[in-house]
Amino acid sequence: MKLSRSKESDTEYIAVSARDKKYKVVNPFSEDLKINSKKIDIKIFDDENGFTYILYKRKKYLVEIVEKSQNKYTVLINGVSYNFTIETPISYKRKKYLEKNKSKSKVELVGAPMPGKIVEILVDPGTKVKEGEALLILEAMKMQNEITAPAAGNIKKIFVRQNDIVNKEDVLVEIVK
Amino acid sequence: MKIKSLLIANRGEITIRITRTAGKLGIKTYGIKTSKEPNAHYLTFVDEIIDFSDSTNDIPEFLDVERIVNSAKKNKIDAIHPGYGFLAESPFFAQRCEEEGILLIGPSPQVIYKMGNKTIAKQIASRYHIPLLKGSQGNLSNPKEARVIADKIGYPVIFKAAAGGGGRGMRIVEKSSQIEKMYRLATSEAEKAFNDPSVFIEKYVRNPRHIEFQIVGDKHGNYIHLGERECSVQRKHQKLIEESPSPALNETLRKKMGDAAINIAKATNYFSAGTVEFLLDDDKNYYFMEMNTRIQVEHPVTEMVTGVDLIELQIKVAQGERLNLEQKDIILKGWAIECRINAEDVQGGFSPYLGLIDKVQYPRSKNIRIDSGIADSSVVTPYYDSMIAKLIVHGENREKAISNSINALNKFWIRGIKTTIPFCKAVLMNKKFKNGDFNTSFIEKEMDQLYHQDKDDEMLAAYLATFDFAAALETDRTTHIDFEQGKNISPWVLNKRLRSL
Repeated sequence: MKLSRSKESDTEYIAVSARDKKYKVVNPFSEDLKINSKKIDIKIFDDENGFTYILYKRKKYLVEIVEKSQNKYTVLINGVSYNFTIETPISYKRKKYLEKNKSKSKVELVGAPMPGKIVEILVDPGTKVKEGEALLILEAMKMQNEITAPAAGNIKKIFVRQNDIVNKEDVLVEIVK
Repeated sequence: MKIKSLLIANRGEITIRITRTAGKLGIKTYGIKTSKEPNAHYLTFVDEIIDFSDSTNDIPEFLDVERIVNSAKKNKIDAIHPGYGFLAESPFFAQRCEEEGILLIGPSPQVIYKMGNKTIAKQIASRYHIPLLKGSQGNLSNPKEARVIADKIGYPVIFKAAAGGGGRGMRIVEKSSQIEKMYRLATSEAEKAFNDPSVFIEKYVRNPRHIEFQIVGDKHGNYIHLGERECSVQRKHQKLIEESPSPALNETLRKKMGDAAINIAKATNYFSAGTVEFLLDDDKNYYFMEMNTRIQVEHPVTEMVTGVDLIELQIKVAQGERLNLEQKDIILKGWAIECRINAEDVQGGFSPYLGLIDKVQYPRSKNIRIDSGIADSSVVTPYYDSMIAKLIVHGENREKAISNSINALNKFWIRGIKTTIPFCKAVLMNKKFKNGDFNTSFIEKEMDQLYHQDKDDEMLAAYLATFDFAAALETDRTTHIDFEQGKNISPWVLNKRLRSL
């Protein structure tokens, strides 16, 4: 089946950044490219090694899509990574609707900021903690790092034991605000 | 004795750096190959490779004293350069080299031992009336002893590992009630990192500057210093950007601190290159911290402003030659800044970023020096520290050195991994940094964002992601390429579609 589109109608996408900044991209492949309603001239091309470049305002950028899964993208440009969710106008509306109806979470999960070993646990389930209070000590690259509470609350659950090896972003502690 | 062959017991950029001077002096170099980095870039620079790939020892290759010493003997190598890190400050290694008649490029084992132990080093400094911070007379035997001293000299105080370095085994104590916890943390970290739990305590200077002096001594009692390096841009005690000279020093203070540095060297009959570290407080009081008995990562900034090849001096002094320079010959010309390019994810809390480097592109100019340990297709492994390259840039003054550095960083491209380049840019563009108004709390206090973003970067990134997503969507819709429509399609999309078919 072939979907037909009238040549006059614009194709529109919305790239939403991790900080909720929106970029409305209209006609991504054509000369009529507009980003946030501004007409813009950007060229994307690959070199013979398959590396991708962007040419914009006479400057060349070596860029890279480091991760994509469905509509979630991580893009590296000038050494900094950017996370986007790409939506169509319809999917964007649906997403906004769902977000509005979601109740605010009362649970805070504390994850490991880097891979390492748990050398000491400073709290117990039930302990009341203040924001910034040390929860446990994670040893990484021979440095001992205090993992602190991101918010005040009660310790609900501790998912690790002393001497456990953890990966980045492994959940360590659950706090109920 | 004239050194004809040299084993470099190290890896990465410093090995390449040493081969450069060795080549100039007509010395044959040997490097060590390990199974962890069998295709490492440094191996293409040495004249001969000694293969440690079969190592089944629990001891990491570059710490395997006996194997390194035996390899040098077997290959009839005259001398060993330890670089920095690994065995560079091991008195035991220096001792073993001496016993086997191999020349070590560095000071004597006795001096390495004394200066490697901060407690002994401080005792030597106090005998020569070098300013020191108040604190314990030696190592502490328990937290109670620490509390008595801390209560007397006043808080905050800091625990430091006697055998310490690199910021490990250090703990700041703000009040009496924290003494026991911090004592426990400091000793356990010291034990793990240095195999020696000894700690001492001293007054903690809040937000000092870290200033160090490069000295060189020969075996005939001659000493010079080559000015200072400003190393205050640190994160968790790890230096990230260094410069020479320091914006905090004038000629008078430079002379005073330089003389103090030379006195430390004299006190131990030091020979080779060494670094005397000082803290400088807001009132420009300086305090001796420690002496590093090796060549340092940041030595190129000194080389750039003095025009002296420090590795060459190290080798010549080790051969017993007299220093051919006097203090009056050392003139600091212009300004040099070093940016450390580490394979780290600045956005992810500077966590190590491992992986394959697909492509490196260096900036080139006569005021740029790059000491790099990587090339296209290099792999960043978890086995070693994350520093992969150093960018050292000169300018006629500090302002120029900063703007030249920013330009150089903009042309320094690494694809495949994340690095500290965006961090370095952010520092160099910071107003307080530009004004020379900073200390060791700079990163924590003065930087709102730890990485630099150009105005349009996020928009370009958004476009790239949208473009790729839309292209995939269009391909799904049409299932075949409509060449009629294809005329209006970017060659990039077309290319991607063709490949996906």
